[in-house]
Amino acid sequence: MVSHELLAACRRGDPKAFEEVVRRTHKHVYTQALRLVGDRQDAEDVAQEAYLRVFRGLAGFREEAQFETWLYRIVANTAMSYLRRRQRFGAVLADPEEEEVSLQRASEERVDQQAVDRDSLVKALAALPISLRTVVVLKDVYGLTCLEIGRELGTTEGAVKVRLHRARKRLKGMLFASEEGRDEV
Amino acid sequence: MRCEEVRPLLPDLAEGIPREAGEVEVHLATCAACSAELARYRSIILELSALREVLAEPSDGFLARLLSQIPESSWRALVQRVASDERLHFAVFSLGGAVVGGAAIGLLWWRARRGLGAIASGASAASETA
Repeated sequence: MVSHELLAACRRGDPKAFEEVVRRTHKHVYTQALRLVGDRQDAEDVAQEAYLRVFRGLAGFREEAQFETWLYRIVANTAMSYLRRRQRFGAVLADPEEEEVSLQRASEERVDQQAVDRDSLVKALAALPISLRTVVVLKDVYGLTCLEIGRELGTTEGAVKVRLHRARKRLKGMLFASEEGRDEV
Repeated sequence: MRCEEVRPLLPDLAEGIPREAGEVEVHLATCAACSAELARYRSIILELSALREVLAEPSDGFLARLLSQIPESSWRALVQRVASDERLHFAVFSLGGAVVGGAAIGLLWWRARRGLGAIASGASAASETA
């Protein structure tokens, strides 16, 4: 996505290089933000703020990690700060077991065997409570470790693992309800 | 192991982190329902990782808005880089020291020349009156 040469040009303060980085990554950043905050306008605000942090942090980025991984962390951190400011962070930390969330079917279409339909998965993900969605998006979509997610959320690695477990279970319930019924028989 | 004991382990097991084969694997090898359940979790995790490349489309003008904030940001980044780089600090202090030192020497030299000039002109005036 972003080459070493482009990053080096950014570090030299070349505005054209910054522009190129934004052009190449903006949809990824926006999509990740959208998956975390769940609202298009909020996702654009998060993306704008995330890029400011990227520009500020680029001088210190030593390329020990992949740029994309570093970028995902920044977007995750920005999204959490944004939710905190909007006073929606309580929902991120809330215990999903206590929430009244209907296990709505992401899709009424019958999903055969073990294959997951992508559109249904996207809908199921969006239907998850934010406390579960945040964790499963950061871990299973963007590859952050449970420890890193814990740091972003201000909670323990163990608590993240519990949420991840619940999130996967809930997704499976939404996506394979018909098969589960069949297995029980 | 029984299905009720194995089922709660499946969401984490599906991640595929290598582990020693044990009772769970023995159960999975013989229980079609539990192995189907594991396959569902695996399929979800696999598809979730593929979502990274499935991109949402932002609103019109989003990219332009992002790009419009770049010049200011890049300058700020550059200033911060200078402010945080120890080698640059050292270079700036060294240069500053050299400039101050040079100015001090120049000033002393100028005053010394002025003093010598005054003495010389005083001496020539004295000789003229004599």
